[in-house]
Amino acid sequence: MSKNIPPNTHRHKNVKRIRESLALATCSLLVTSPQPSMAEEYQAPWEIDSSLLIYSERDRVSAFKPVLALRKEIGDDEFIGFRFVADVLTGASPNGAVPTDTAQTFTSPSGESSYTTPANEIPLDDSFEDFRLAISADWEKPLTDTLKGVFGFNFSIETDYTSIGLSSTFSKDLNQKQTTLTMGASVNFDKVNPQGGKPEGFTTMPTPLFPGPPPPPGEDDEDGDDDDGFFKGESKNVGELLIGVTQIINRFTLTQVNYSIGNSSGYLNDPYKILSVLENDGSGDLRTGDSPYVYEKRPSNRTYQSIFWKGVHQLANEDVINISYRYFWDDWDITSHTVDLRYRWEIGGGHYLQPHVRYYQQNAASFYRQTLIDGEELTLDYASADYRLGNFTTQTLGLKYGIYFDNGAEINFRVETMRQRGETESSDAIGKLQNVNLYPDMDASIIQAGISLDTDIISKFLNKAFRNN
Amino acid sequence: MPTLEQKQDYFAGHFNAMASPCEILIDTTDEVIARQITSIAENEAKRIEHKLSRYRENNIIHQINSGNKVTVDDETARLLDYADKLFELSDGLFDITAGVLRRAWQFDGSNNVPEQADIDFLLPLVGWKKIQWENPDITLPAGMEIDLGGIGKEYAVDRTAKLVQLFFDKQDHNQQQVSVLLNFGGDIAVLTPKNHPGRSWTIGIDTGIDGDAVVGSKNNTHTLIALTAGAVATSGDSRRFLIKDDIRYGHILDPRTGWPVKNAPASVTVATETCTDAGMLSTLALLHGSEAETFLNEQGVDHWLRW
Repeated sequence: MSKNIPPNTHRHKNVKRIRESLALATCSLLVTSPQPSMAEEYQAPWEIDSSLLIYSERDRVSAFKPVLALRKEIGDDEFIGFRFVADVLTGASPNGAVPTDTAQTFTSPSGESSYTTPANEIPLDDSFEDFRLAISADWEKPLTDTLKGVFGFNFSIETDYTSIGLSSTFSKDLNQKQTTLTMGASVNFDKVNPQGGKPEGFTTMPTPLFPGPPPPPGEDDEDGDDDDGFFKGESKNVGELLIGVTQIINRFTLTQVNYSIGNSSGYLNDPYKILSVLENDGSGDLRTGDSPYVYEKRPSNRTYQSIFWKGVHQLANEDVINISYRYFWDDWDITSHTVDLRYRWEIGGGHYLQPHVRYYQQNAASFYRQTLIDGEELTLDYASADYRLGNFTTQTLGLKYGIYFDNGAEINFRVETMRQRGETESSDAIGKLQNVNLYPDMDASIIQAGISLDTDIISKFLNKAFRNN
Repeated sequence: MPTLEQKQDYFAGHFNAMASPCEILIDTTDEVIARQITSIAENEAKRIEHKLSRYRENNIIHQINSGNKVTVDDETARLLDYADKLFELSDGLFDITAGVLRRAWQFDGSNNVPEQADIDFLLPLVGWKKIQWENPDITLPAGMEIDLGGIGKEYAVDRTAKLVQLFFDKQDHNQQQVSVLLNFGGDIAVLTPKNHPGRSWTIGIDTGIDGDAVVGSKNNTHTLIALTAGAVATSGDSRRFLIKDDIRYGHILDPRTGWPVKNAPASVTVATETCTDAGMLSTLALLHGSEAETFLNEQGVDHWLRW
């Protein structure tokens, strides 16, 4: 056995404190490490969802719409997300007037600009051009084991429209998470600031023959809105409530029912939409005693409700069927049905194809008119020829192809074609208009490309790329 | 192959690496998780063993010791930078070039103490500053050698702790992180779950012959400490020494003299945040010989000494 030698007393070394310097050196030895890379605290990557959509109506509006969505887990099941959308719109949009057998010229409320539609063509406002930028942020936070809150903020701006909104949604899990109750509320405060001035409902649109008085300088402000500063213009306020139930039926089947009610109030007119005013002699000719076009006028309040049902079922081969139906109604008497069907076919090897069929049918608002008879603008409360308030159906056929990778990234492409057909209202088709299609039918197509990935995938990819160089 | 053993309320994985028995205790009843973690630990321990062993002929240490200019990988570079820093902090007491002195000193329990002439012959081959190290290139003068074995085991424990942490971070949220104890031949780290204090592991610091810390022993000859987080490392000379003329020559050599450090404790155990820190502090304490306790008090770390 060895002897236990007691510490002796003569000092032959300087004893100094090195602990902090050592800890620092150890830190740089351990922190930056070879693959697999290991940060001190594991940071969830940013999930990136990006797409580019091109929407194009035949002879009408085209839209170019890039979207970037970012989402990141910042705590246990706690997420923040941001979404940036830009929308560039150009082209021509039906202004509400009916086609006639002579060329028609239209002027903006301020008289600053005008455009002419050839004979026998649906009048289109070809000055339609807009840029919209929307930003939204949300924060998803588990409040208890079974209660989750999502709090959102959104803001969008375009040439003539500004919107700012807040929302919150609460989801409560019941029955071992087989059932989820959802309640949500949102408010939006919008400002409409029409290009070329805000027309009053049922006032006439100036024409070369009937130039009309110039609009009074410094826009009237009878509603007391603050017209100065960034949020100038006419107010429109929207509030919505939603309640819903999601039920997991079995491992493969899920169903969801939502009811929502909303109210919008304030300036609900479309400042660019007009109606043609006909002579009251049954000829179907535009009136000649005054400008044959008046601006539309809608109620300043609208309450709307909808019921939505969705069913999702996964088949044994992993294909997924997604069916939904929505019934919508409002106090403008618009009702609509939407049926949507998607089938996701897993081809294998990470490829899928998803056909999509959608059918939309709408019954017109009570004040929807395709024409007015001279004098009606003095007796009617409201009228609008906006084709979006009419009787019409839209059929959509689409196909999406996607490929997803082992690391979670996905690339997808989508093409869709839309066919919108409306009715000519027989009560509005008078005289020579009886044989004319007064509804501006529309065909459109959508092309979209999207990519989903996260920042981990990107940095791995870059690392690899640099190593190979 | 590692073995896995289900204890009362935890799993214990065992394997051998770096010439030591290694033990992984996982506070779970989920065998799959336990097996995965044990496997992560074994892979990492063996990876570092293969990479840093000076007994192998196909690794970076062998290349460097062959004397040619070598461009090293990132991990080796960081280890060399670390050795450089330790050399500086310890005023040359910690020197990874000291290994050549073992050609003179055979610590086999015999009385085979070398002559001063043997040592003088070797001393020119010792001295970290004689080495050209400019990250990432290293060139050793002829006859010199480096040995990172003095850092390797503690480093392997901390590396494994990080890999296990990464493993938990990549699990889905339902898989809660559990406490894991890593014990590579007495160099220990406990990995604590982020959200709850986790399990307290009882570690016995051997006050007998063996010198290494052991886990879970209730033997009276052990000082028991409870570890819920952080790391513990022990350095000692209790197993490797020479005795001549009633003088015990421990295997801790002072690289500046070529002779064993006098009056060093038989073993030093240090507890601190990382196993590497604990190991370096306990090694440096031994190199301080009789000043070991003073040195450790100066550092302000928890420590246990056996003389």
